[in-house]
Amino acid sequence: MRGRYLCWRLVRAVVTLLAMIALTFALYFAIEQHPPMSAFGSGPYTAQQIRAVRRLYFLDGSKIRLYFDYVSQLARGEFPHARTIDSSGRVVDAGSPSLYLAPKLRVTLAMLLGGAILVLLLALPLGALAGSRIGSWTDRCISLGVLILLCMHPMMLGLILRSAGGRLDWLPTSGYCPLSGHATLINSNGQPTGTCGGPLDWFTHLLLPWLTFALLFLALYTRMIRASVAETIHEDFVRTAHAKGASETRVLRSHVLPNASLRVLTMVGMEIGTAIGVCIYIEAAYGMQGLGNAAINTLGGNGDLSLPNTVAIVVLITLIVIIGNLLVDLLYTILDPRIAIRRNEGQTKSLVGGVF
Amino acid sequence: LRFRRDRWNVVALVAVVVVVFLGFFGGAVVSRLVGHSGNEQFPFAANSVLRPVGPFVRVPAPRHVRYDDYGGLVRPRAGGRTALLILGADGPLGRDELIRLLDGLRVSLSIAVGAALIALLIALPLGCVSGYFGGVTDAVVSQFTEIIMAFPLLLFLVFANTHLQGLRAVGWGWEFPAGVFDEALLIGVFTAFYPTRLIRAQMLTLRNAEFVESARMVGASHWRIMRRHLLPHLAPTLLVWAAVAVGTNILIEVGLSFIGVGVQVSTPTLGSLLTTVWGTVYNPQTYNSHNYTPWQTILPMLTIVVTVAALNRLAEGIRRAMEPKEQR
Repeated sequence: MRGRYLCWRLVRAVVTLLAMIALTFALYFAIEQHPPMSAFGSGPYTAQQIRAVRRLYFLDGSKIRLYFDYVSQLARGEFPHARTIDSSGRVVDAGSPSLYLAPKLRVTLAMLLGGAILVLLLALPLGALAGSRIGSWTDRCISLGVLILLCMHPMMLGLILRSAGGRLDWLPTSGYCPLSGHATLINSNGQPTGTCGGPLDWFTHLLLPWLTFALLFLALYTRMIRASVAETIHEDFVRTAHAKGASETRVLRSHVLPNASLRVLTMVGMEIGTAIGVCIYIEAAYGMQGLGNAAINTLGGNGDLSLPNTVAIVVLITLIVIIGNLLVDLLYTILDPRIAIRRNEGQTKSLVGGVF
Repeated sequence: LRFRRDRWNVVALVAVVVVVFLGFFGGAVVSRLVGHSGNEQFPFAANSVLRPVGPFVRVPAPRHVRYDDYGGLVRPRAGGRTALLILGADGPLGRDELIRLLDGLRVSLSIAVGAALIALLIALPLGCVSGYFGGVTDAVVSQFTEIIMAFPLLLFLVFANTHLQGLRAVGWGWEFPAGVFDEALLIGVFTAFYPTRLIRAQMLTLRNAEFVESARMVGASHWRIMRRHLLPHLAPTLLVWAAVAVGTNILIEVGLSFIGVGVQVSTPTLGSLLTTVWGTVYNPQTYNSHNYTPWQTILPMLTIVVTVAALNRLAEGIRRAMEPKEQR
């Protein structure tokens, strides 16, 4: 049963990925009908130059064949290479987009994982506190605070925190430091201001982005944990635990909160896509060079749209979502083998704060 | 009515009604009262470094403004005509913040409601057909919604912003500024998967109910069963969804403003009022107290929070009133 279900999931994931690449192709070729000739200055252009530019923008061959070439290349585990025009006007290979995207992927993954951990660290105590005192002032204050955070936009929240952080001067407020090796920090005018690197710099530079991320997603998780705690707190086994003399925190920690873990996990799975969207804004707010930054530069650039780069970004983001969801599914079956694997058929996407 | 038993439900309902009224009539009424529109610029409403004035400030009316030989402003003599800016000015141009806020609320609400309607138009046939017939139809529709769900919406929007300028054309006068329709369309299309799944799930549970069986037995067509017997059952679910969706759409509109997609800059929305202070993804700005006042952030934020919170609470209230067994 489990194997068959996972197989079916995988097939659907592959179909989704293929459709996504096809959509990207459709959008790309809808726009690049008249490629910019900027590589050769202002006209008139020779036939050879026009041919070179059409080749540069992948307009010279069959689009269907190009699609299958791309898919087979991706299936072999490598991204299709970008093209560029060299000084003599010939179209040459510009290398794999993975060279350009690998450091960015690291930034985004660090953001996502650290942020997710911080969300849970904040949401569990808050949700438990609110859930065990439904209707009290503590509960109301937490609910209101969380609601206000829910209405914040990631970029605004990020910039507010960054401004406050800059005023207080406790934490570095921009840039990303690699965990190993060194990077040059650049200020807003593009001047280098120093180097940084190592675990400590990595951590302090990511702390504010993580906090931003966590505050944004706090609402969903706190509310859910609150609801779950409020439901289970009147169950018999909780009363038994109380009767046996366990302290309040102990009852909450080891008897009530584990019941919320499945719902939290479902939510994590559903929110991965949203989280990547949020990363675009947070990266922009803190001047970090992540996947979101790459997406904005590639897709929103000044007309210089590159098909291999676009496809690579779309594939990477989709893969993060798909792999994340599969992991959540696996964890699900490990955490609670009793339940049927047909999860979240009736489950719905989070009510508010969906897409940003 | 069970709905009226909880006083917070009533508060939320009143708040929503007030917000809608303020949005659709407030701007016009206030601009009639104070005698200027939201697009009129008051050079004296911003100081020499373009920091706008705060609430309840009277500034000289634009036609009393004179410039000296060097292009500097000449302060008019006391006693000339002044205009009252109830919530201060909106930025370097010195426009009335209150009127722009109310106008922005109107534009944001029309986008949000329009997007919800478009999503409903897409979701109703898709969800009904896939839930009612099941089988292959259901599989195809489910796969389709899954693709839309997984599609990185933001990527598309960034892309649309730079490359699909032709989208901006549709517009009709004051009530319906250019850009509202296509923004509603974008949001509607990309959020339609959610009501589709809701309707499908509801249909799946309803299609084998006794009353459907009996209708089928007396020879009613599929179309008639769906229209007369099943659609009324969807209404409560959709009502709850709509209240939440309008709130979410307002937040999405704010997000779109931050990537520079949507209505023209001269048309205020709740999002674009915020972007004047904080910039967009392409040029994020940290807070600068020399050029901006905190009001420029607090007022739009407050409007958003009140609107979204009231809509959410309303949805919650309706849901609880509809499902008495639901635990509080």
